[in-house]
Amino acid sequence: MKVSFQSLSRHLDLAGITPERVAEVLPMLGLEVESVTSFGLAPMPLVVIGEIKSSEQHPKADRLSVCQVDAGEGSLRQIVCGAKNFQVGDRVPVALPGTLMPGGFEIKVSKLRDVDSAGMMCSSEELGLGKGEDGLLILTSRQPAVGTPLNSLYGAPDTVLEISVTPNRGDCLGVRGVARDLAAALGLSLKPLTVKTAAGLAAAPSAADAVKFVRSSSEFCPYYTLRTLKNVKVGPSPAWLRRDLEAAGLRPINNVVDITNWVLLELGQPLHAFDAKKISEGIEARSAREGEEIILLDGKKVKLEPGVCVIADAQRPLVVAGVMGGVDSGVTDSTTEILLESAWFRPGEIRRVARRIGVSTDSSHRFARDVDPAGVELASRLATDLLIELAGAQAVSPAVVVGQPPRADVTIELPAGFVAAKLGTAIADADVSAAFARLGFTVKASAPGFSVLVPSFRSDVTRPIDLVEEFIRIHGTDKVPAGRPIAPLPGDEDALTSVFTREVSARLVGAGFTECCHYSLRDAAELVRTLGADQAALVAMDNPLTAEQTHLRASLVPGLAGALALNLSVHADPHGLFEVGTVFRPQADGTVREFISVAFAIVAEPATRSWKSREAFDALRAKRLLQDAAALAGVASVRLSFGAATSGLWQADHAAALVDRGRAAEGACGVLDLRWTRSLGLKSSVIAGEVCFPRSAFAEARKIRRFEAFSSFPPVTKDVAVIVPVGVAAAEVETRVRQGAAKAAGKEFVLESVQCFDVFTGPGLPDGHRSLAFELRWRHAARTLTDEETNQALGVVIAALEKGAGWTVRR
Amino acid sequence: MQEQLAQLVVAATREAAAVATRAELEAFKARVVGPNGTLTQVMKGMAALSKEERPVVGKLINEAKKSVEELLATLLAKVEGAEIAAALGAPVDPTLPSPDAPVGSLHPLSRTRERILASFRKLGFVVADGPEVETEWHCFDALNTPADHPARDMQDTLYMPKAFRSADAPRKADEAILLRTHTSSVQVRTMLSRKPPFRIVAPGRCFRRDAVDATHSANFHQIEGLWIDRNVTLADLRGVLDFFVKETFGADAEIRLRPSFFPFTEPSFEMDLRSPNLGRLSNRWLEIMGCGLVDPKVLELCGLDPKEWSGLAFGLGLERIAMLVHGIDDIRHFYANDTRFLRQFA
Repeated sequence: MKVSFQSLSRHLDLAGITPERVAEVLPMLGLEVESVTSFGLAPMPLVVIGEIKSSEQHPKADRLSVCQVDAGEGSLRQIVCGAKNFQVGDRVPVALPGTLMPGGFEIKVSKLRDVDSAGMMCSSEELGLGKGEDGLLILTSRQPAVGTPLNSLYGAPDTVLEISVTPNRGDCLGVRGVARDLAAALGLSLKPLTVKTAAGLAAAPSAADAVKFVRSSSEFCPYYTLRTLKNVKVGPSPAWLRRDLEAAGLRPINNVVDITNWVLLELGQPLHAFDAKKISEGIEARSAREGEEIILLDGKKVKLEPGVCVIADAQRPLVVAGVMGGVDSGVTDSTTEILLESAWFRPGEIRRVARRIGVSTDSSHRFARDVDPAGVELASRLATDLLIELAGAQAVSPAVVVGQPPRADVTIELPAGFVAAKLGTAIADADVSAAFARLGFTVKASAPGFSVLVPSFRSDVTRPIDLVEEFIRIHGTDKVPAGRPIAPLPGDEDALTSVFTREVSARLVGAGFTECCHYSLRDAAELVRTLGADQAALVAMDNPLTAEQTHLRASLVPGLAGALALNLSVHADPHGLFEVGTVFRPQADGTVREFISVAFAIVAEPATRSWKSREAFDALRAKRLLQDAAALAGVASVRLSFGAATSGLWQADHAAALVDRGRAAEGACGVLDLRWTRSLGLKSSVIAGEVCFPRSAFAEARKIRRFEAFSSFPPVTKDVAVIVPVGVAAAEVETRVRQGAAKAAGKEFVLESVQCFDVFTGPGLPDGHRSLAFELRWRHAARTLTDEETNQALGVVIAALEKGAGWTVRR
Repeated sequence: MQEQLAQLVVAATREAAAVATRAELEAFKARVVGPNGTLTQVMKGMAALSKEERPVVGKLINEAKKSVEELLATLLAKVEGAEIAAALGAPVDPTLPSPDAPVGSLHPLSRTRERILASFRKLGFVVADGPEVETEWHCFDALNTPADHPARDMQDTLYMPKAFRSADAPRKADEAILLRTHTSSVQVRTMLSRKPPFRIVAPGRCFRRDAVDATHSANFHQIEGLWIDRNVTLADLRGVLDFFVKETFGADAEIRLRPSFFPFTEPSFEMDLRSPNLGRLSNRWLEIMGCGLVDPKVLELCGLDPKEWSGLAFGLGLERIAMLVHGIDDIRHFYANDTRFLRQFA
């Protein structure tokens, strides 16, 4: 909301206080000042009214003209000018040599392309009056005489403060509310508001009124007033009124509309003026009926939802109550009789309706923030004063009222010591009551503390804690000391997701990966690739802002692939990239679950040449990183198995999906779909991995392990090689080896490890077969194992393996 | 005899020059000190000597033996040296660059987050978390922001469709499911699930329906703080924030609490920061975070008796802090993932 310094000065005596000081004080009251701008013409005695007597083409420059200008000096001044929007005879502002322009440069006698120029004719913008039409500021009036300083056409310059008013401070959506806070802060008193129109409301229209009835049947309009004004002469507003509106950023329209807007700005109470001749019989605030429509002032046609509060006459809705009027009942140049509405509407309903029909007006903005019911009648009277004074109107009767003010002043019982207890520092009672008195609250000492009467303009102050805020605003937050030292609370630990995030990130950084951070909101194509079309639909948002950000991400991998491509395209070697973040995955039961995901990606062929090559990063190194990450989350490797990856992100036969027997973790690793990564501009294949965990998975991650004793006797190792058809997974063979070897050890000794040490295909093996060799290690807790025992155990393993169809143990 | 021994030593020394490998060393050793070695033969001749000659000759033999042993030790060192050289290959040029990729780096947002969390941990705050997709109740209603409250205008919200069901944030009734607009929803979840007193900080991702520009992002990060205890005061709030700011921005940073409004705190403040070490933003008040005492209505909605419990809460924008600390001028850098940006803060 824009408030000018001059308008504040109407409400309190600001002598000796600069606008800059006001801009410092208001923020510490909770009224944030977003900008301070000057309004109007700064004092510039050397800028005078001039008249262009002739204009000729500049001999050397097509775009310039050479003008002879009468600046009231007896002789003409030659001025070279670049503007095109003038005609000979126009009056324009002329900056004489010596003028310091608002931009800081000084006007001097000079030559422009060899032609003398003694001054400058000015545009609106050059004079600091804001952007006007292109070219010179053409003065329409022939008064006063040429040579008169331009300032005589403008009032004193003003300063406009743009204030950001928080939703609780509806009272500061009027100049008087801001002035009231400012007065409290500066210890000044608010000037009384003088209104000539008599107070008093009539319960029903009289014969003099232009309506036969005024009614309200809507629960959203508990308090409504309407006044008839006759003999209105609609015309332009006087300069001061236009100036005030323009300073506040409003466009003047005509005196009637301008007066209602001016009162709105001044008191924060929206008003509405109807052309009485266009009203059929009377006015009623009622619910919209099925099928009713209205064309709003902005031309928008709105279907009214039944229940929405409208102001209607006997025939049709005229106004969406508190939001915007219709086109056909408003004031026009030919209006002679008006009905002036001042009312109170339920704030929540106004907000709902304004959002529903997609308009926000100065009126709806204020009603939604709970206008002061006590100000309803006052605003009507103030507007009436002005309509009488500026539009020749005649008030024929008091305003007609329906209903009661919905709120009154509120008394809050403030317990003794409450304010000090909330501040955490001692405060004198006198300081507390003085602060409230400055705010216009009435304070009485009551037995247990204070009794504070809060006027109805402060709808946000209803409880003792609200009074604490009021006190601190006036008392000053700088007087609150820093508090007591704090001891930690024993037994409190960080959330395990946070511990995991920190640890897994540290590990990947150590492994050479750089952390990325991508948007969670992705496009439809990415989700279709990741989840398939059916599941992608489950993570689509209801009201996305852009077509690129329509879905929640289900994987971090696409972001990383994109980042690899971006970095390579700018010749920055990305090495490995990783990200830790939330992904959203549809579950079998139709819900969508949040997972903490860890993903990494790296191009298989290094982007930077080196004098010595290293073994390329491959799918199985990715597997190791995934297993380690899972272990940090409390998912042991033995729970994990790897099968074919099915998502569109991964290359068939070169990537694997991770399956957790505990059903907590999900993931995949290997080569990314090559057609896809090539389409991203990546020449080399990309190796990636992703593992993700639901929040519940972390519950077991922090179990404290108990010590287990180990044997001091040497182990025995045996090798076994088995030839199997190529379709048989290594894990299947290994499982068979483990089972056999564990069974062979029985309870007597233990199988310590099974390690695959050779994989071979080629000469000497049957077609379509491969050989896998494993080293088995057994150990006894209490003695050295004998050859006999271990040979026998190996026999059990061999027998178990040879039960596999087409499996042969090499001997 | 003496001459024989001298010749033996000379011959052995001459032969030793040709020894290069361990096999040659072994053969040479056998020729001199083996059972039939030249020195062994001489020593065997001792037996034939008289009692008087023995000490004299014995001394000479010992001298020759010592020479031979020294010779053998030298040869062994030479052979082993050659073997080690062969095993190791060509010498390393330590001035060559390592062919391995350097260590990675944390994202500047993670780095800033961890730094901030560490400072709050010193004050006994622990990390809490909550879902990013939330119910309207947890994000707004429980925070004293009912549906038609004008405070809802402060944040434009992204919603999920009616059919959407979240496993992490099930609906209580038929309220909307949305992308949380602030981490304040974690305050609600913590109050509902924990018994006070407690102090938590909740870092996390938030979403608003904002067009992306240099200062706005469709998603961004906040760190929320909540302290629920008996008799929590504004002085405590000032103490906590003062400590945080000095930890993060240095001892010469100062704060002010500027009255403001949030539906879930009363009184509410914006905390402004002023520091001489922020480049072109030095020495002016900068808005950093919202804070205040927890509104009694919120305590009630979250099942805590406001007569017994009170609290303070604050919420800061991680991007904003990281931008100030590092002098970053455009929020989009955080999400572009150009490694020339990411690696600057390692």
